[in-house]
Amino acid sequence: MKKYLQLVNFEFNRIVKLFTVLLGITFVAQMIGVVVQSRSYLNLANEKMYKEMMPQAEFLESFGQMSFLQIAKSSWFFGPIALCVAGVAFYIFFIWYRDWIGKNTFIYRLLMLPTSRLNIFFAKITTILLMTFGFVAVQLIMIPIEIMVLKAMVPNEFRLDMGVMEVVTIIPELTLIFPSSFMQFIFHYGLGLLAVSVLFTGILFERSFKWKGILAGLLYGALAVVVLLLPLLLHEFVLNNFFYPIELLVLEIIMGLLVLSASIWVSGFLLKKKVTV
Amino acid sequence: MIEVKEIEKRYGRKKILKGVSFTAEKGEITCLIGINGVGKTTILKAIMALTPLHKGQILIDGKPIDKHSFEKITFIPDSLTMLPNMTINEAMEFMKDFYTCWNQKRANELLGFFRLEPSSRISSLSKGNTAKVNLLLGLALDVDYVLMDEPFSGIDMFSREEIANVFTSHLIENRGVIITTHEIGDIEHLLDKVVLLDDGLVTKEFSAEAARENEGKSVIDVMREVYQK
Repeated sequence: MKKYLQLVNFEFNRIVKLFTVLLGITFVAQMIGVVVQSRSYLNLANEKMYKEMMPQAEFLESFGQMSFLQIAKSSWFFGPIALCVAGVAFYIFFIWYRDWIGKNTFIYRLLMLPTSRLNIFFAKITTILLMTFGFVAVQLIMIPIEIMVLKAMVPNEFRLDMGVMEVVTIIPELTLIFPSSFMQFIFHYGLGLLAVSVLFTGILFERSFKWKGILAGLLYGALAVVVLLLPLLLHEFVLNNFFYPIELLVLEIIMGLLVLSASIWVSGFLLKKKVTV
Repeated sequence: MIEVKEIEKRYGRKKILKGVSFTAEKGEITCLIGINGVGKTTILKAIMALTPLHKGQILIDGKPIDKHSFEKITFIPDSLTMLPNMTINEAMEFMKDFYTCWNQKRANELLGFFRLEPSSRISSLSKGNTAKVNLLLGLALDVDYVLMDEPFSGIDMFSREEIANVFTSHLIENRGVIITTHEIGDIEHLLDKVVLLDDGLVTKEFSAEAARENEGKSVIDVMREVYQK
């Protein structure tokens, strides 16, 4: 356990710079987004009300009040989130390949550590999870700050105030990142964890058997998807809507755990017996 | 004792090792000699479970390698296995964190022996100094066996001498060493045992001292006999 935690600490320190840079970009871009969107709304209001002499009530009726939704729907807000998602997606692969490539092959050292090689797998998957939850947590902290800036820039009567909960539940894309219920959280992040574990296993197949490994990895991925969807497929096409929704959910959770266990077992086997440096 | 028993290894369709067997005793320096591509590095990697074998078995003190074995045996490859952005100090910290057999006193001694600056960044080191750091990280572990892959490869004469001096020092004493090298001349007089490899097989395994005393032949003489037949 101690070695696992040391490895997690070590792996996380290796990405802390990239992580901080991405967080910085997100904060700056979203803040710029708040300022730009608020100013553009205020400019429009000024133009209509002071140049075209439109009454305030008519302006509000025609253009509506400014709310955080306008900011959250802009690319200033979603762009950096997409960048962070892309960063995590890229790092799922890079977290393994960076140890093999280059002049200094660090994978030698990792595989020669006096600890179970599965700890390397667990440490890397934990790092991906920490990165993901780190982004989500910081985003949750950023939203109220951005709301405060919006409030400071746009006068009360032109503004429709929204709470953080409202923001994250109204925008469909944000509900993916911020699930509104515990079940949804398990579903979204459980599926994400499964996907990462299957990808890691695929990468280890490639690292063990090279070209043949890519094929094996793809087959393993396809098999994992089939196993995961099996209850749904049976329910829909074979058993004629046989299961109650709660039964289907339990079956899906069991299948998910099965795929996760298989990924851990296969990865452990590959790391111990088949991987080559 | 490290026992390598009838090991076979293929890369694609090419069979690199065709049933290699030899033993390496604790307290002895065993040298694997053979032309490039004969599988010397593969044997060392296989001992450390860094590459799978198709057949055969390797035992360390009678047991197959497992996670605990890495406190007992270490491998010093021909490239540095630490992150380039680390300083020598950070690399030593890393080793200290993960290995209970890390011996900081010996590490400090090696730092002095090789005249290395702990605050130097690994990426900024010359090839010779990189090889020395590699040796430092391996030899500062209190392990019974040390595997070294081409420790003299591409290194200047003075660094080679410094590294060769390690073999006559207490840093190696009582340990079992398996070394692969082309620069046999640097350490010929220090070898206890030589394993000559050719075409995926051990062509000759002999005691260097016995060859010197009984037949009056150096390791190079025996190599000539075997390879130039």
